[in-house]
Amino acid sequence: MSKINFASVNVGDALPSKSLAVSQQLINDYADICGDYNPLHVDVEGMKLNTMFGGSTIAHGTINVEPVLQAVCDIQGLQWPAAGTRVDLQFRAPVKPGFTILSNLVVKEKKTDAGKNILVCDMKIQNKDGGDCVMGTAEIICP
Amino acid sequence: MEHKFNTSLVSGFGPAQMLPDLKFAEMEAGFDCGGGTYKITAEEVAKFAALMGDSNKGDVTVPVGMIYIFGLRICWDRKVFLDGAVRAGDKILFHNPAKIGDTITTKLSIADKKEVKKEKDGQVRISKFLSVDMNATNQAGDKIVDIQMSFLLPKTMQ
Repeated sequence: MSKINFASVNVGDALPSKSLAVSQQLINDYADICGDYNPLHVDVEGMKLNTMFGGSTIAHGTINVEPVLQAVCDIQGLQWPAAGTRVDLQFRAPVKPGFTILSNLVVKEKKTDAGKNILVCDMKIQNKDGGDCVMGTAEIICP
Repeated sequence: MEHKFNTSLVSGFGPAQMLPDLKFAEMEAGFDCGGGTYKITAEEVAKFAALMGDSNKGDVTVPVGMIYIFGLRICWDRKVFLDGAVRAGDKILFHNPAKIGDTITTKLSIADKKEVKKEKDGQVRISKFLSVDMNATNQAGDKIVDIQMSFLLPKTMQ
C-alpha cells in the first residue's frame, strides 16, 4: 500500500494504478465464489456459436471493477475504503478472457468537505489495448 | 442457454411477490425486493484475495471486491437480476469495513425507473431501465456498503 499525501497531489495528476489479468480460469473461479454461472461467462463452447461478443465469453461485470476498488485502497493506504468514499461507474464494453485491465484515476478536483480531504477523480477501467470498459468518477477520501 | 445459479450460498428472505412478477408500471420506488444473509468465512476470503491478487487484504478485513459478492448472490437468489438484463452502472458508497466472521444482511429495493427515448432512422425506440438499491449491514447493524445498481431490462419487459 502506498498512501497518497493530499497536499502533494495536483489537479491533473494520474494516481497509482492497479491491474488484473482476466483469464477463463479466473472467471470460472469467480463464478464458484459468487454462484453466478451465467453461460455468457462460463460456457466457452456455447459462446463460440454466439456472435454477440465475437464468439467469446465475457467476464462478470463486477470483475471489471476490481482494479479501481483495489487502487482506491492503495491510494488511501487502507484495507477497506474510508467511510464516505464514492465510486460512480457505467459499464461501457465487455471484458473478455485474455484482457489485462487496469484502473486509470486522474484528479479533476481537490476539495475539503466537513473536515475531510477529498480527491474527485475521473475514472476509467481500460483493457490492455486502451479501450474503455468502465467509465465514471470517484470521490476518494484522503485519511 | 440455461442460466445456472447456486442458491445454496445464501439464506434469502421475502418478498412474496418478486420482481419478475411485476409489470414495468408496477415497479415503484421503494418496492421491497427482499434480501438475504450469510456469514463471511476465512476460507472464502482467502480464496477471493488469492484470485484477485488483492495485496491490501488484512488478517481480518475482507477484500474490498467482495462487496459485489454480498449483492450478486442475493440478487440472483431473489431474482432481482433478470435473465437478459444488461448491467448499465453502479453507484457505490462505502461505510464500515466488512470483517471475517461477520454475518452480512443485504436488503434490496427498487430505487428508480426510467425510460430513455432514442431516435434512429426516423423511428423512436424506448429503452426501460431499473435501478435497485442494495444495502449491506453487519450483525451489529453497522452499514458496510450501499450500492445502487442500474440495468436495462430484458427485451421481454421492454
